[in-house]
Amino acid sequence: MLALQAKGLTVTARIDGDDVPAIRALSFDLAPGKILGLVGESGAGKSMVGRSIAQLLPAGFMIAAGSLLFEGEDLVRMAPARRRGLLGRAIAFIPQAPMTALNPVRTIGAQFDEHLARFGEAGRKQRRERALAMLAAARLPQAGDLLGQYPHQLSGGMCQRVLIAFAFASNPRLVIADEPTTALDVTMHPQILRLIAEMQRRHGTAVIFITHDLRLAAQLCDDVIVMYAGRAVESGPARAVLSKPAHPYTRCLQLANPSLRSERRALYVMPEQMPSLRQLRQMMGCHFAPRCPLAAEDCRRSEPPQIEIAAGRSVACIRAAATPGIATTRRATAVPDSSGRPVLQVEKLAKHYAIDRGLFTNARTFAAVKEASFNIAENEFVALVGESGSGKSTIAKLLVGLEQPSSGRILLNGEDLTDPSMRRGALRALSLQMVFQDPQSALNPRRRVTNIVTQAMEAGSRHASWEERQRRTSELLAEVGLSADFAARLPGQLSGGQRQRVNIARALQHSENPGCRRDRVGARRLDPGPAPQSFGAAARRARLRHAVYFPRPLGGAASLQPRAGDVSRRDRRAGTDRGGLRRSAACSHASAAVVGAAG
Amino acid sequence: MAGPLFRSLRSVRVLIALGMILCIAGCAIFAGWIAPHDPGDQNLLSILTPPAWVEGGDPSYPLGTDSLGRDVMSRLIYGARTAMLVAFFASIGAMIIGSILAHISGYFGGAIDWIIGRLVDVWMSFPPVILSLILMVGLGVGLGKVILAIVLVDWTRFCRVLRSEVLIVTRNDYVAAARLLGFTHWQTIVREVLPATLPLLITLVSLEMAIAVVVEAILSFVGLGVGADQPAWGQMIADARQYVYQSPWNLLLPIAAIFLTVAAFNLLGDGLRRTLDVRLAETGR
Repeated sequence: MLALQAKGLTVTARIDGDDVPAIRALSFDLAPGKILGLVGESGAGKSMVGRSIAQLLPAGFMIAAGSLLFEGEDLVRMAPARRRGLLGRAIAFIPQAPMTALNPVRTIGAQFDEHLARFGEAGRKQRRERALAMLAAARLPQAGDLLGQYPHQLSGGMCQRVLIAFAFASNPRLVIADEPTTALDVTMHPQILRLIAEMQRRHGTAVIFITHDLRLAAQLCDDVIVMYAGRAVESGPARAVLSKPAHPYTRCLQLANPSLRSERRALYVMPEQMPSLRQLRQMMGCHFAPRCPLAAEDCRRSEPPQIEIAAGRSVACIRAAATPGIATTRRATAVPDSSGRPVLQVEKLAKHYAIDRGLFTNARTFAAVKEASFNIAENEFVALVGESGSGKSTIAKLLVGLEQPSSGRILLNGEDLTDPSMRRGALRALSLQMVFQDPQSALNPRRRVTNIVTQAMEAGSRHASWEERQRRTSELLAEVGLSADFAARLPGQLSGGQRQRVNIARALQHSENPGCRRDRVGARRLDPGPAPQSFGAAARRARLRHAVYFPRPLGGAASLQPRAGDVSRRDRRAGTDRGGLRRSAACSHASAAVVGAAG
Repeated sequence: MAGPLFRSLRSVRVLIALGMILCIAGCAIFAGWIAPHDPGDQNLLSILTPPAWVEGGDPSYPLGTDSLGRDVMSRLIYGARTAMLVAFFASIGAMIIGSILAHISGYFGGAIDWIIGRLVDVWMSFPPVILSLILMVGLGVGLGKVILAIVLVDWTRFCRVLRSEVLIVTRNDYVAAARLLGFTHWQTIVREVLPATLPLLITLVSLEMAIAVVVEAILSFVGLGVGADQPAWGQMIADARQYVYQSPWNLLLPIAAIFLTVAAFNLLGDGLRRTLDVRLAETGR
């Protein structure tokens, strides 16, 4: 008997009086002991599947048609009491945000005990033993101590392990893991995946693994379903779907993800965005057609049927045969060769913060950055890679002068920026700019795009005429690939990707001045999804000369720069490695973990 | 900024409140034309007459006369002038001092923030009415002194509330970006931080006006407000207190005037807060 079988599951959302399908006619079979991956961008409807099983759909959403058979019983039409009996016991969930899923005011032991008591484990002592066994199986060291600890005393990764132990404690027949790694650092991803796979094998559980990351799905799953705008566009065995995508969307996703192993190449930039539910109402034909490089007239006319292309593989595309032909147009060799002349030299940079300053105690210091040294030569892109908390952002702030270093030097074209006379000079503003991490907070919501990208013209006593600012705006917008119509918009009227482009344009605004050189842009973390592509594309288009790039997923770095630096958490020293990313794995233990995790 | 302010004009609360305030301000500005008598003119032949519509009322004194035979209506109208002057200048003054310190404190943080924060703590630990009474004793009576006393007492309110807003705004990356583009601290505060804190600032000013009206009434009630020659609502209440059994109208009318003015300012503040505060606007209340 199948662990879970979906037959034509359709979930609709009520928008302005119309019922718009958020999931359309989704069908799949999940055999016991198998892992099914649901892959798609946010908004593709993948989480709605998990929520349909738990009957926890958001307000306005409802299951309009189809059935979800759990071991032959239909979860949709089941009596609520019966469903409650199954949920948490036969069907368990691993949540997305481990830190918020645990009750912060109760110990792990108390919560585990309650959980085990709920499905009828008798006897306090037996429950404690079972909890210890499960925590040990989840590879948590010192499980005995852990039972007495509170969630805030654990790291995010440990919390997720505890929750995985919770989920498998009841010997469930089905586990739904909704983005279980998204809230965690990349270094944690392989460990969590390994743990889920191991627990799944041991208990013979069927798992639905919901993720936006194609490669995670490929590592863990037996089968995957790629979802787009509520529809399964491609399904089949994980390896086959990932290695030979048949749907243009899967192929584009694959090309948009940088690879650490293969040769450096330009990332594929998918135009526009996935249609929202509101837009779906008016759409005809294939929903991917507006973004599809293969779209033809027929695609826009009628919705493509599910076509079986091999055993167990189906794809919703009428031009699937042409999919392997989609390739990135440009090769990633647009960066001119480096002359080797160092533009920015960072020497033994350190930053300490005083913490715990009490009335009677001496201040303790916390070293955010210790002896970071690296150089950036002309036309070079350098990535600083590290886990969260490893000091990347502090280095960025030190470079642009938002913080002053405790010791060490920063030389820009041979001039020491840490010298007091240089600190507030115009030179820094002219040659060193920063692209901020979060385009939401980086753009003043009250300024129009023109006022943002030419903001420097208001600075100090320089004042430019309105005509001059408008002219400059259109130049800058063209450089980052936005049309001039955007000039009058407010940030609230832009999409995330467009905001990030405006964000980049602002950092470029000084580069016209012939007396100054566009020297570098320090980009802090960009979210996965469209951001790495847009940064890469926009940076290249804008002929950005040199950059320090601070990606969180290391993969994002691989497409852009020939050299990687890494900041390891333990010693907080930055080191660089010339010549290739993969070799930076040899730099230190920590960086090896980061590279391993991203690959 | 023009957007939200314009939007607030569609709120019923704001429109009603603005209407009331405009009426009171109109009385204050055109007191010389509206008032039927000079507020200081005494007619000792008709003292403590009730309003015209009550038995025994005199049509030439629409709201009656007080214990010295002065026209109550004229005194109320001229009293509005005192109240409005105090409300306007005291709240603007408190706003200027409080918001400048709040922006400096929240924007720079560190030791400056600590010093200003402790100053506000110490200042706020004095009971405000006692503090203003002490100030008035020291400064002497007069309209300017009343305004000064209220400013000195109430700037802390602005400072405390605005500082936390400034802290939130300053944490946005666009403020750091402005610095990186070569903005001076002053430019950054005025062009990036202030526009974001302005809605709260406007709301606080309108609430402060209500407080200023009450404080001015208290000070004139105890005789430490404006000079005796200048009509004020608090003074009228104090005068009428002795004859409350013979002529309750003399007491009720200035109380009603204070009540309506304070209610109008509070209504305005509440309406502005609802329409200007992004957080409330988003939840659709």
